Amino acid sequence: EFQFGPCQVEGVALPRLWEAFRTMKDTVQAQDNITSIRLLQREVLQNVSDAESCYLIHDLLKFYLNTVFKNYHRKIVELKMLPSFSTLANNFLFITSKLQPSKNETLSASDSAHRRFLLFKRAFKQLEIEVALTKAFGEVDILLTWMGKFYRL
Amino acid sequence: DGVAALPAPQNLSVHSTNMKHLLMWSPVVLPEETVYYSVEYQGEYESLYTSDIWIPSKWCSRTEGPECDVTDDITATVPYSLRVRAILGSQTSAWSILEQPFNRNSTILTPPGMEISKDGFHLVIELEDLGPQFQFLVAYWRREPDTKEHAKVVRKGGIPVHLETMEPGAPYCVKAQALVKAIGRHSAFSQTKCVEVQGEALPL
Repeated sequence: EFQFGPCQVEGVALPRLWEAFRTMKDTVQAQDNITSIRLLQREVLQNVSDAESCYLIHDLLKFYLNTVFKNYHRKIVELKMLPSFSTLANNFLFITSKLQPSKNETLSASDSAHRRFLLFKRAFKQLEIEVALTKAFGEVDILLTWMGKFYRL
Repeated sequence: DGVAALPAPQNLSVHSTNMKHLLMWSPVVLPEETVYYSVEYQGEYESLYTSDIWIPSKWCSRTEGPECDVTDDITATVPYSLRVRAILGSQTSAWSILEQPFNRNSTILTPPGMEISKDGFHLVIELEDLGPQFQFLVAYWRREPDTKEHAKVVRKGGIPVHLETMEPGAPYCVKAQALVKAIGRHSAFSQTKCVEVQGEALPL
């Protein structure tokens, strides 16, 4: 299960998400030609406190569901990767539905988490949309690696 | 063109036990004809974001039997829509859609099968292998007054696991239940089984 600070999420097998992403990783990352830029930069994911983690993962997964996956879906269909994509998307949807970032947590934690998320979002917006979508989808392994720090078998 | 429309399959239902999900329907019966079927699915994500897209089932994009194992298609604990259509030559029927979306957290969990054995003075259990999503909680105790019950989580079925070194003079009893973290549920306990070792107590 995941324990993002105060937020616990049971019912997701992280190895299963890795298995799904690995079947898409090479195809997607091969289409990302700008290797000098990273959206999920060190400043976004490094030294995230437990209190921040629930806010940050909530913001990131919402963005992936509502922007990255939604707009990259047509490419996924073209590349015939729907089953693996479906596994990832439906589990991200499940996780976000279980995350309840509490309102009375210290304001600083949610602010700090939001500032990290805005770093990611700003980097995303600075790229041409198709380039940004491909790069963001290709960086799901960075996201899953970070999520793994909050996962217990 | 005068060709009677191929009837769509009816009475779709999902039978799910121990995280094995079987979609079933009433067959389309045509004399001297073999009717095939095609199954597709949508998770909650697809229903919300790409509702026009359905994904062919891994094992049943063209199947003969009026059933389909959709276990490998259902990979998240969210509602899934499922649909089936009949295929006869170049003809296809309309799609029939499962009335209620299926969520794997509704699967029936049965008490696990278990074998208890003695390996010398050692109490050994082997649990039914129900697949990677299953762990087991094993409770065991020495059957005598004021005894204390012990518990152990066994992460995998199908392999012998040592529980305890027994002493003669009283039976040792065991029961087990299946745990599925993916849906946060567990089965009822199995029936209790007991074994006893004979002979002299082990030297201290």
